[in-house]
Amino acid sequence: MAISYPKDLLRDLLEGNLSPERIWEIQHAPKDSDRCDKVVSLEQERVPWSERIIVCLQEHLYIVEKRGERIIKCSCGHEFGDYRTNWKESALVYERNPQDGEVYFHTRAADPDFMVLREFYCPGCGSQLEVEAVPPGYPFIFSFLPDLDS
Amino acid sequence: MGKLKEAVIAKEKSLKERSCYEDALLFKEQDPIQFEVLYTKLVHSVLNAREVAALVSASPVVREMGECVFGLYTAEGDAICLSVGLMLHIHTMSRMIKWMLMNDYEEKVGIREGDYFFNNDPYIGGTHSPDQLIVTPIFCEGELVGWAGGVTHVPETGAVEPGGLPASATSRFHEGLILPCVRIAENEEIKKDLEVFVSRNVRTPEWWLLDNRAKIAGCRMIRDEVKKLVAEYGLDYYAATSHEYIEDTMRATKTKAKSVLFPGRYRAVAISGVGRRLLIHVPLEMTVGRDGQLSCDFEGLSSPGAHAQNNTLPATEGVFMCAAIQHLFYDSRYNSGSLYAMKLNIPEGTVCNPPNIFYATGLLSPSIATGIVWNDCLSRAYYAKGYREEVFAPNVVTVGMHCGGIDQYGRMFGAFNMEASSCGTGARGVLDGLDTAYALWNPEADMGDAEVWEQILPIVWLGRGIQPDSGGFGKFRGGNGIESLYFVANTNQAEMGSFGGRLPIFTSAGIMGAYPGSRTYRNIVQDTDLKARIADRLPLPHYEGEMPDKPEIVRLLNGKAELMVGRYAARPVKEYDVYYQTNGSGGGFGDPIERDPQLVRQDVANKVTLLSTVERVYGVALDSTTLEVDLEKTGALRAAIRQSRLKRGIPAKQYIAQERERLLSGDLTKVARDLYDDILKISPKFAGEFREFWDLPEGYLPSDVSDQKTPGGSV
Ligand SMILES: [Zn+2]
Repeated sequence: MAISYPKDLLRDLLEGNLSPERIWEIQHAPKDSDRCDKVVSLEQERVPWSERIIVCLQEHLYIVEKRGERIIKCSCGHEFGDYRTNWKESALVYERNPQDGEVYFHTRAADPDFMVLREFYCPGCGSQLEVEAVPPGYPFIFSFLPDLDS
Repeated sequence: MGKLKEAVIAKEKSLKERSCYEDALLFKEQDPIQFEVLYTKLVHSVLNAREVAALVSASPVVREMGECVFGLYTAEGDAICLSVGLMLHIHTMSRMIKWMLMNDYEEKVGIREGDYFFNNDPYIGGTHSPDQLIVTPIFCEGELVGWAGGVTHVPETGAVEPGGLPASATSRFHEGLILPCVRIAENEEIKKDLEVFVSRNVRTPEWWLLDNRAKIAGCRMIRDEVKKLVAEYGLDYYAATSHEYIEDTMRATKTKAKSVLFPGRYRAVAISGVGRRLLIHVPLEMTVGRDGQLSCDFEGLSSPGAHAQNNTLPATEGVFMCAAIQHLFYDSRYNSGSLYAMKLNIPEGTVCNPPNIFYATGLLSPSIATGIVWNDCLSRAYYAKGYREEVFAPNVVTVGMHCGGIDQYGRMFGAFNMEASSCGTGARGVLDGLDTAYALWNPEADMGDAEVWEQILPIVWLGRGIQPDSGGFGKFRGGNGIESLYFVANTNQAEMGSFGGRLPIFTSAGIMGAYPGSRTYRNIVQDTDLKARIADRLPLPHYEGEMPDKPEIVRLLNGKAELMVGRYAARPVKEYDVYYQTNGSGGGFGDPIERDPQLVRQDVANKVTLLSTVERVYGVALDSTTLEVDLEKTGALRAAIRQSRLKRGIPAKQYIAQERERLLSGDLTKVARDLYDDILKISPKFAGEFREFWDLPEGYLPSDVSDQKTPGGSV
């Protein structure tokens, strides 16, 4: 029998309200095949805008349909442009010296000669969308280019 | 040509030309229940073997910590089923069997009932010289129908440093005793002369020799059970189904990927480090086809070098598949089918597939990094499908302590204590990572009892605990790693070091807004006043403490203290020298300022987050005595953090333009320059993308434009 979860349960899962024991049960059960659609519709309810979500790309970022185009949009409404271009190229960037003492204790941080932290923020809401830990001079990582016509 | 060699070649051809292992699943379709019943019995045989072998072994690494695995293979060496444990050997034993067949062992060496072949040459099978494999053929009605095999991690190999994982090795010839596919037993009898040979070439021979007995016992159990089952089900049925199980897994693999992963292209990068100033690049491009076809391309891997972090092809395949099984194929059969169903490109001539057997292979960091980038890519593929409980942020490249010399009983010894099997895990998409729970290379591992090691080794623990705030900060944080503080007891003739820690870099990235886990390191204090402090009943150091930049061992002890980064070779130690080791922590998930303040409060109460972190990283206002959360103040703190981000962040286009200028003027640190020089030369694909991204001229190499004056790192 195909498994399917009520939307309320999935909402609790997304919001981190389920106990580890309940999550364990979900992890150990066969997967519910209608999950993707249900999660998209839950996310659609959570965002304050109305463009149709095609895929939840990552925390805060969605690919939406807008006037026949597929663009990346933040939960706050900020738009990043065509999904085929790395959204990071339209974000705010801060290159952090890991040993600046603001995040890590000095001894636990990477040496900036070897590795820097590249923080990407949404220009609309200041959410931290990604942190790259890369050697200085590394190109932006294009983490995910979905195949939308599947 | 031997009959089995022909079979190996035929199977390879079928996989290459027709992308299948068997054309049909005749016996499965005929009677699926009997098909499953036999499989379950086979799985029981390998699980039983593992349980019994652990009791025969004398080494705590196997007995207590589960560093062993058993498997059953087809006549041509493909895995049918595997026990739990060191699962990365699912394919490495397979490689060993195939190597013997392809090198004419059938005709030139002879393969007979009661033979046991040993291998710890990582270029043939296994991962590094401590991972030692034994296989035995299974004969039924005079025909070789399969192989039983077992692996244990033996924590001493007679290498240039004790413990089997010599960080200072620059070639294979520093890595101790390597026996490539040697027959160590005939007619069920272990060869005495070979035991003499081992006992005079490694520091703690009983581990090696008793582990051999453990593996032989396990292999025999599997062999005898398979013979019984063949008698029960018939040889034809067994021979056919043992192959169908692999084809069945190949099919299940694609079905699984198709149903739970979003199709598309995924990319991730992990960086590993060597010695004092060499970075290793481990990139992954994973594609999920619409039909569920998974392709994993590691083009862009660094070149191999004169260091201990080159990994063989069997090792890389093994560790990668171990990660693949845990994160995706955990509910299918553990056999060769999942590997054969994937398209894997690990380019020849790279650090994960060296061009010849010269290169040292002790430290598995690059191959572990293939698992780390897999965690990253796969998490995003699950996320897009809505399966957030399967998001598993990148795990860590593990490190650990090794020691050797003359022990408290006056005997020679060498050991690695395997605490590294209990690192913090990456965060999940809906939960924090687990503290001190896991290593990517052995999902069944255990940190072992300190007391057992204290009986064996001349060290005493002053403390062992969860290292607070070492997991990557995030909405869900990475699991914290283990920290241990030892002192040397009852010997003045010992050496101690770490097989890792290496460069000051992060290895477990955070994803979707979270930070990486802390880097690993160790501190050593020598010529201490610990003995006097114990006699005077003064406070002793137990952990790093509340001020990681001024650890307890520095504050509470007098002596010569050194923070050891990038210098990890074993060094001489004396009684009451104190050694502190961290073992690694997982990456986080999501923006840290979205973390539930109640989780932060709970972490502080459990002493896994320090009070000084709470406001700075999580933007949470917590009363330092009552630990009550002030929600209003928390909201204000978080709003202020957002504002400061918007203020300090610069538009990416502007950042790219600035960076481009830096690259054009050669303003790069030496380590970064060396890294790019190497991979731009070795990978045309990476070179093209690098130059295109930064809009650099054709043929650009950082060293060509460098003034060579830029600093080379402070280590
Ligand atoms: Zn936003």
